[in-house]
Amino acid sequence: MNHIEVESSHLAVLLVEDSPGDVRLTQEVFRDTNMDIHLHVASDGVEAMAFLRREGEHVNAPRPDLILLDLNLPKMDGRVVLANIKADANLKSIPTVILTTSESEVDIVKSYRLQANCYLSKPVQLEAFEILVKSVNDFWLTKVKLPQQRQGG
Amino acid sequence: MAQLHIGTMPLERLYDLVHDPGHVSAKVAEALNLGEEALRDSEEKYRMLLDEIQDYAIFMLDPQGVVVSWNAGAERIKGYKADEIVGHNFSTFFPPEDIQQGMPEELLRITAANGRHEFQGMRVRKGGSRFLASIIFIALCDPAGNLRGFSEISRDLSESKESAAKYRGLLEAAPDAMVVVNQSGEIVLLNVQAEKQFGYSRDELIGQKVKNIIPQGFAERLIADGTRTAAEALAQQIGTGIELNGLRKDGTEFPIEIMLSPLESAEGILVTAAIRNITVRRDAEKHLGQMEGRYRGLLEAAPDAMVVVNDSGDIVLLNVQAEKQFGYSRDELIGQKVKNIIPEGFAERLIADGTRTAAEALAQQIGTGIELNGHRKDGSEFPIEIMLSPLESAEGILVTAAIRDITTRKKTDAHVLELNRSNEELGQFAYVASHDLQEPLRMVASFTELLARRYKGKLDSDADEFIGFAVDGARRMQRLIQDLLAYSRVATKGNDLLHTSSEEALRRALMNLRGAIEESGALVTHDPLPTVMADERQLIQVFQNLIGNAIKYQNPGIPQIHVSATRNADKKWTFSVKDNGLGIDSQYFEKIFVIFQRLHKREEFSGTGIGLAICKRIVERHGGTISVESQPGHGSTFTFDLARSEGKS
Repeated sequence: MNHIEVESSHLAVLLVEDSPGDVRLTQEVFRDTNMDIHLHVASDGVEAMAFLRREGEHVNAPRPDLILLDLNLPKMDGRVVLANIKADANLKSIPTVILTTSESEVDIVKSYRLQANCYLSKPVQLEAFEILVKSVNDFWLTKVKLPQQRQGG
Repeated sequence: MAQLHIGTMPLERLYDLVHDPGHVSAKVAEALNLGEEALRDSEEKYRMLLDEIQDYAIFMLDPQGVVVSWNAGAERIKGYKADEIVGHNFSTFFPPEDIQQGMPEELLRITAANGRHEFQGMRVRKGGSRFLASIIFIALCDPAGNLRGFSEISRDLSESKESAAKYRGLLEAAPDAMVVVNQSGEIVLLNVQAEKQFGYSRDELIGQKVKNIIPQGFAERLIADGTRTAAEALAQQIGTGIELNGLRKDGTEFPIEIMLSPLESAEGILVTAAIRNITVRRDAEKHLGQMEGRYRGLLEAAPDAMVVVNDSGDIVLLNVQAEKQFGYSRDELIGQKVKNIIPEGFAERLIADGTRTAAEALAQQIGTGIELNGHRKDGSEFPIEIMLSPLESAEGILVTAAIRDITTRKKTDAHVLELNRSNEELGQFAYVASHDLQEPLRMVASFTELLARRYKGKLDSDADEFIGFAVDGARRMQRLIQDLLAYSRVATKGNDLLHTSSEEALRRALMNLRGAIEESGALVTHDPLPTVMADERQLIQVFQNLIGNAIKYQNPGIPQIHVSATRNADKKWTFSVKDNGLGIDSQYFEKIFVIFQRLHKREEFSGTGIGLAICKRIVERHGGTISVESQPGHGSTFTFDLARSEGKS
């Protein structure tokens, strides 16, 4: 868990992902985007909820501007994490993007039913992944207008 | 003088009385409590005694048979008063047919010769009615031996205890025609059913020869011969149903079955015959026989074991295949319960219960294949499928069961099931495996890619080359896995077959291919194309793969591709995709449809060799086939049909 003190000018993204390879790959791709983004990582669903609710060691965690959520996670499943976020009045306005290898129709339908903001399949080619991450950042961190959030919790 | 009743006195005693009055008179006198003295010379009293006997007709004849005396019994039994009959010939008591045959004269002659003659015979009363009588004739001779005349002592047998009213009541209660016959073959008793059956009135039959109504086979059975007595002869027939012909008064014949039983009586053994009219049964048998003749041919021609069963569950007919299948000979099975060869589930299906008749029970089963177990003679069991059909016969509904040994089919079914299961598992495995392989491979491919980007030219030339191979290998493996996934998705992710415009499917395929078409300048034309039953996404894919190949495997020049559809006799649509490309050697016509089979080096043409394999799989999922006709250098024509295709063009 990398945890960096938040400066208000930084954008914060929470990546919920249990595969170290994927974490590293995503970090690499984010590094290449040249945006001022702090990528925080939670490697399971429980930790993700603790981060979002600023519990325990996450007491100083920033409120992320975007959540990238994998579905298949240890301890607490990604679908449960999604349901918890969207059931929490303080958290539900944070754009939550499902980023997973599953292309299953069941997963897609269920995610949207749980109010995922969008559902993305991880492309197998590196280049395609890079394009995807850039367009997600461009859309959700730059173009989208979101309500002003209180920083308190 | 009190009336003398000696009805219970055996005839023999009476005979003694008549034949040897001196000997017997003492006993009679005792019985009458008369003094010996009083009786000795009292012929008059003796005569009075005879006269008063009520139960026996006792009368005297002169040597020519003229009646000379008449007692009270004779009057009662025969109906004549003494003054009406004395002076008439005794032949008056015989039925006309006996008179015609000269029986009265014959009787006198025999009696004269033997001194005595005893028999049973028919007698005619005054007024013509008949009765069966037990009769004793005695020749009366003077001491010199000259014939002086005859005496006849007779009794009406129908009055005897043995054939009394009780027995008649029994006869009348019987459902069958009943006829009681003495050992001379004369009818002594009968019931109303017998009258009806044969069309005679009772009086017309009593005393007649049974031969008159049953011309053959009955009387003969009662007759003693050199090796057996009448009783033995009869004993052989007791209880056996004997099929004969009955003869009605009107001359018509009809089939009968008779059952004989002996009836011991004082007059000897009488035979009771229960006579059943079996016209209906005979007709049924004849009908069945005819049917059987016709039907047997059919039965024997059938490839299955065939067994015909009646509604009691008895086997009435079967064919050779049934004999073989169950290991019994025909004779062993006919008449057996079908339960012996099909222990469960068959007989039960024919049985009526509270809510349905046997016919209804059967109707529920008609035409349905029912899987049961057959039981061979050797005790082994085997799986069978039976098909039941009703066969209306005169005897009611018979059930024809076609019995098929499904041992092989069961095994095959099991194999097919196993094969389907393992196929499905394999499909599932391919999907899951390729899906799960994709994840680590994504890592390999992505990080070798990153390596290549960041460190190319920074290490040595070997490192650059190695990284190059790793990147290339990972990419190819990714393509293979994606293709394998696509291939397994044909079966696992297929949609239902719906009415689909094949022209629209082609249009979409061309849209997907527009980059390649524009780049190559290909000219794609088509005829009007029909609506078919298809999974649209898959039909698009077939067009896309075939046309994509036509563009890809191209001579220098402009690719020309034409898509057409024709409808064949069984209303299937056959699609053709014809190109002017490289063409294919005929030895590869099969091979090109096999997954990952390629005809060209990777350097010449990219691709894993999945496109045609997917086409084949899709077409087969639609119940059709795909093939190619081609000559190298002269283009190729790929043809596929869709078995379930229908609709208008």
